[in-house]
Amino acid sequence: MTPPVRTTLWRVLSIQFVTLVLLWLLQTHYAS
Amino acid sequence: MHWINWVIVAVYLVVVVFDGLRRTRGTTNIEGYFLANRSLPWWAVGLSVMATQLSAVTLIGTTGQGATDGLKFVQFYFGLPIAMVILGVTLVPFLHGAKVYTAYEYLERRFDPKTRSLTSLLFLLSRGMSCGTIIAAPSVVLSSIFGWDLTWCVALIGVPTIIYTVLGGVQAVAWADVKQMFVIAGAMMAIIIALIVRMPIPLDDALHIAGAAGRLQVFDFSFDLSKTYTFWSGILGGTFLMLSYFGTDQSQVQRYLAAKSVDEARSSLLMSAYWKIPLQALILLTGVLVFLFYLFQPAPLLYNPRHSAQVQQQEPALFADLQSRYAAAIAVRQAAAREAASVRHTGTDAAVRGSLEAFRASEAGVTAIRTEALSAAERASGESSRDVNYIIPRFVLDNLPLGFAGIFLAAVLAAAMSSIAAELNSLSTATVVDFYQRWFRRSESDAHYLNVSKMATAVWGIFACVVATYAATLGSLIEVVNRFGSFFYGSILGVFLLAMIPRVRAPGAFVGLLSGMAAVGAVAIWVPSVSFLWHNLIGAAVVVAVGLVLSLGGRAPDQPARREGRTSTV
Repeated sequence: MTPPVRTTLWRVLSIQFVTLVLLWLLQTHYAS
Repeated sequence: MHWINWVIVAVYLVVVVFDGLRRTRGTTNIEGYFLANRSLPWWAVGLSVMATQLSAVTLIGTTGQGATDGLKFVQFYFGLPIAMVILGVTLVPFLHGAKVYTAYEYLERRFDPKTRSLTSLLFLLSRGMSCGTIIAAPSVVLSSIFGWDLTWCVALIGVPTIIYTVLGGVQAVAWADVKQMFVIAGAMMAIIIALIVRMPIPLDDALHIAGAAGRLQVFDFSFDLSKTYTFWSGILGGTFLMLSYFGTDQSQVQRYLAAKSVDEARSSLLMSAYWKIPLQALILLTGVLVFLFYLFQPAPLLYNPRHSAQVQQQEPALFADLQSRYAAAIAVRQAAAREAASVRHTGTDAAVRGSLEAFRASEAGVTAIRTEALSAAERASGESSRDVNYIIPRFVLDNLPLGFAGIFLAAVLAAAMSSIAAELNSLSTATVVDFYQRWFRRSESDAHYLNVSKMATAVWGIFACVVATYAATLGSLIEVVNRFGSFFYGSILGVFLLAMIPRVRAPGAFVGLLSGMAAVGAVAIWVPSVSFLWHNLIGAAVVVAVGLVLSLGGRAPDQPARREGRTSTV
């Protein structure tokens, strides 16, 4: 895998992780 | 609709069709027509992939689902980034490196002609019919909302799409997709901003109420095969569904076959992986905001105006009774929502809990009356009264300022057209390359194949419009075809997985494919409680298992396509 694709791959994984954390925070913060 | 809205829609249609006509210049042979001479940059392919997946049903149905069920549907997409990464290192280099026109063409090089023809035929059968439903779904909504004849709605979506797809081929389709993606994203952002500006209470308080109503519940970690949307069905079943869709469906494969290189093809898929979950979460959140908006505004009893009129006409007393009870329940819910929002800042924990409990009870009251109204609509219309697809269009038309309806309608057309164009282009490719050229005319001129390809695109376009026009009559047939389609998605993926295992032989792959489809069919018929998201995993697993067992003892055959696939840098 070439370096640009590897960089993109890490970005993909980071964005998914951040999105899932944000959704988790949204769910737990406003849960009642 | 106001003339300014019409001008916005007309400008959109003219730009898309005119741009499609401009793109006809590069298409003098079928490689240009179907694969843009493998010249597209990764970002254009990526946006095209995203626009193709984002159909009108996603735009209006998913937002509506957000309003009624909240965010949990986003779990469906959890497998997508995983699938994109797997495809990037497995199938993409194989298919791009093999220099094929269709994914199924690769299967003939690896196995035999019958495996190629069967998989391609299955694609044509399911996609040909589903293309009709992609036009039908928004057409039915527009027809009901605006009171237009269904045929005109189908023509409004279908005719411009057929024109630019027939004339410009994949160049026109991909570049139109790029513009359409911006139109869709722009419209969504405009609606979200309008919703936030018009929310009568602070957003933080509003989200607090949404949480109490269960609309912000995203994750469900229960491992229950009968539940469609759980974390596990998304991660496991969703991964296999997305692998099947992006790895073996010609409408998707053709996008990245048109990329300049294997790395550009990979990057285009990863771009789609970047944005899919955030974009879907945003679309669902828009629906949640609409739900919150209607807590403080009079919400329609039935969002489908045609059903509303039918109930009013056939059961006037019941309709009047439902309307008055609904108005009272809405008033109670509004008071409860305001109380919950204010108590949050001033009251004790017990008072906050009490106010949220009162809100939930008032919400249940509203839902009960809506359920009665939907049953009445089903009796009056003789069809399903599910009105999720009507929530956002009604909200935009009834509540947003002038111009928003035009932007929204342009976005719905863009979403529908981008999906249909990709389908038509890929249906034409499979028809011409996998059947016409393979079985009937093997050595004609490029000009001949180009003309046949354009004719095939037009014929599939007209077929899709006819199916869409008679969608209501063909309802059960379409359902059967869609159900049949779900039987073989995972099985076709299984064949592609077998193609990457050197020892597997053609008979094993073919019998494996049939076994996989039969296994999924058996599960769907005899164990209907298993959610459809698991079907793909079951199909792929059975095909791989049967294919491997039947190829036991075989040696790796000579595989030119595989060697070509390996020329890329993984």
